[in-house]
Amino acid sequence: MAQGAEPVKKRRGILGALALAAIAVGLFWGLVVAPPDAYQGQVQRIMYLHLPSILTAYLSYFLVFIGSGMYLWKREKRDDILAHSAAEIGVLFTALTIIEGSIWGKPTWGVWWTWDARLTLTAILLLIYTGYLMLRALIEDESRAASAGAVLGIIGFLDIPLIHMSVYWWRTLHQPPSILQPNKPPWENVDPTMLIALAISFVGFLLLYFYLLSLRYRYGEMRCAIKARRLAQEN
Amino acid sequence: MGPWGFVGLAYGIVWGVILLYAVSLKRRYQRAQAELAALQPAGRDEKK
Repeated sequence: MAQGAEPVKKRRGILGALALAAIAVGLFWGLVVAPPDAYQGQVQRIMYLHLPSILTAYLSYFLVFIGSGMYLWKREKRDDILAHSAAEIGVLFTALTIIEGSIWGKPTWGVWWTWDARLTLTAILLLIYTGYLMLRALIEDESRAASAGAVLGIIGFLDIPLIHMSVYWWRTLHQPPSILQPNKPPWENVDPTMLIALAISFVGFLLLYFYLLSLRYRYGEMRCAIKARRLAQEN
Repeated sequence: MGPWGFVGLAYGIVWGVILLYAVSLKRRYQRAQAELAALQPAGRDEKK
């Protein structure tokens, strides 16, 4: 076994265990300890999933943006693997955000889906990065797939500021931010117990995200090594 | 469906899908690891 392999595996194991612990505490805090919302009642508890999952998706697309930019600049395979790995997990968290939002929307707005600006832009984000993954799978030439993916990965990221600003720029059904408001600390709007539930849940999502990313990145590295070895054996 | 029904549905889907993804990723990872080991020249090992 190569030097440094065991510590990486051990660190990943610790990260996974910490993620599980934070998720368990977050579930308990969000479902048991935090009070129901004064207006929305119990369904507001979906917020402890909804906000962490979209923030995790944004982080993932930020890493796609960085990895893609670095790949186009330096042409290093590791940057492409990072972008590809982050895009796959970003799609997972974006899809989950839309599903949670839909389930939250039904009892709150009376509909599972509406063509609201924020919802539509988030659906476009999901389509862009699903397209990214399809593009990567369809182009056989690895270098061309990586370059085309990098361009789409960078362009797709431009949708995120639009999603964030959509509730200010257009009249939307989706509420404006209740926690991150300019000139107002979060505890003036939200019960501190709810903020703690949200913070713990977010930490759980982040730890889980980095665990999955580490596993997916290593998988990408191994796929490259397999292709290189096969090529060497053929020649 | 009552309010707790919607909460249960959201939590169930989210953690169910994440669990499925983690299991499928782990399987892909293990398959790649085995494939790589099979292609490895004798006496050498790849980092995990």
